[in-house]
Amino acid sequence: MVFATSQDLESMIDVLPEDMQKDYRKFKRAVEVLTKEPEPLVGQTPKEVIWTKNKAKLYRYQPNMKKTNKVPILMIYALINKPYILDLAPGSSLIEYLTNKGHDVYLLDWGTPGYEDRHMKFDDYVMDYIPRAVKKVLRTSEAKEITMFGYCIGGTLTAIFAALHPHLPIRNIVFLTSPFDFENADLFTLWTDERYFNLDKIVDTFGNVPPEMIDFGNKLLKPYVNFVGPYISLFNRADNEEFVRNWRLLQKWVADGIPFPGEAYRQWIGEFYQKNKLIKDELYIRGQQVKLSNITANVLNIAADRDHIAIPEQTERLMDKISSKDKTFKLLSAGHVSVTVGKNASKTTYPLIEEWISEHSK
Amino acid sequence: MAQETILDPFKLWKAMYDKAETNFNEIVNEIIHKEAFAEWLGQVQLGYLQYQELIQNTTDTYLKQINVPTREEISNIASLVINVEEKVETLQEKIEDEILDKDKSVSAEIAKLKTNISKLDKKMDQILNYFKQMEEAANKAQAPSGAQK
Repeated sequence: MVFATSQDLESMIDVLPEDMQKDYRKFKRAVEVLTKEPEPLVGQTPKEVIWTKNKAKLYRYQPNMKKTNKVPILMIYALINKPYILDLAPGSSLIEYLTNKGHDVYLLDWGTPGYEDRHMKFDDYVMDYIPRAVKKVLRTSEAKEITMFGYCIGGTLTAIFAALHPHLPIRNIVFLTSPFDFENADLFTLWTDERYFNLDKIVDTFGNVPPEMIDFGNKLLKPYVNFVGPYISLFNRADNEEFVRNWRLLQKWVADGIPFPGEAYRQWIGEFYQKNKLIKDELYIRGQQVKLSNITANVLNIAADRDHIAIPEQTERLMDKISSKDKTFKLLSAGHVSVTVGKNASKTTYPLIEEWISEHSK
Repeated sequence: MAQETILDPFKLWKAMYDKAETNFNEIVNEIIHKEAFAEWLGQVQLGYLQYQELIQNTTDTYLKQINVPTREEISNIASLVINVEEKVETLQEKIEDEILDKDKSVSAEIAKLKTNISKLDKKMDQILNYFKQMEEAANKAQAPSGAQK
């Protein structure tokens, strides 16, 4: 009966004007995408786990592929994302791009924090997790030096780590849309103002801050574009399968966050957004003062001109603080997500990073 | 001509979005940049947090009454497991360091032995040369006296 009804409907559509038929099919496809289709496959580059700690895992990508670059790359990504953000899908993966070019790529997967991890702080990540991961990478690759890659908050963590461990053989650091100066973070500065933002109450109530809350805050920066825009685009271009594939991947990327460990969130908002301690050399990690001037490695710092989460001014300020002799700042024409995944990223961001790393690893 | 007059709801919706986007964006942007919005957002947030707190406290009390462990109690067990895992990880690291250090010290010892043996080899060669020279000198000394006889 149902089959007969839908067949009847289809035959009714066939008599409509061509334009309307096209619109109907787009509408039908868009509804299918939103209601029926399974989650897209992500993180497909082959990898092996070489070390674990609590929920964290250290991956080595394409271990059987020939490594022509002797300096391994360790990737540190944001605490609020899942590890596949740098390995979204074949053809749209920085990790796949780098490993195919002969780089030995490692990634520190933070895992999904449970309620028991609500006391985790930046101190734990910077002093316990990253140093041990670096040691493991150097041992596994039998290398004498390392290239660090930090994405978003992962870049901020990497900078703090590098500043506190000047004795470690960090040859290069690549920062991708990482904020360092929080003096004027536009709307985030206003919304996290101590007078209005209930920071302690949030952490005390939730333990770990839910990803939905963080996602809502990010989307609120451009409400119309973020809440309505994606669906308009989908209904408008649902007849283009390539577009639909990318749309589904991007929506998964944006909406698939993980909880922010409570104490780390208290630090992130309190010490970074509200007090801007990092750039002023006032941040202390396990009692040690973080001086960005301790960073001497070669630095490539990439920002995106339409980024509303890590505004270019927030990322660029690092350049005046570090002591590196070889330092480059690049402003790309993209947004916070499109600088990392998608067609433009594959054409612009990936080759830029790969060429810079290759040049600085000789 | 007839096609143009047919009402197409999707096109209408898209046209509305396109026309409204610019104006609406401007208005929304103006609102969200105001301090009053941040204050309002804070108040909404506080209300939501108070509601969450009430739900959590009620749930915890109920779970305690029916003798079911709360989230806090389960997470305490998870913390104990993590602590044990941390100890195992530290031990593993120490063992690895030890093995590597041992490897390094054994390699150093072997290298040292190799140097000593090659030095010894040279000395042995010198001694052998010395004996050879002595033998040759003795042979030479014996040869003329035999010829005289």
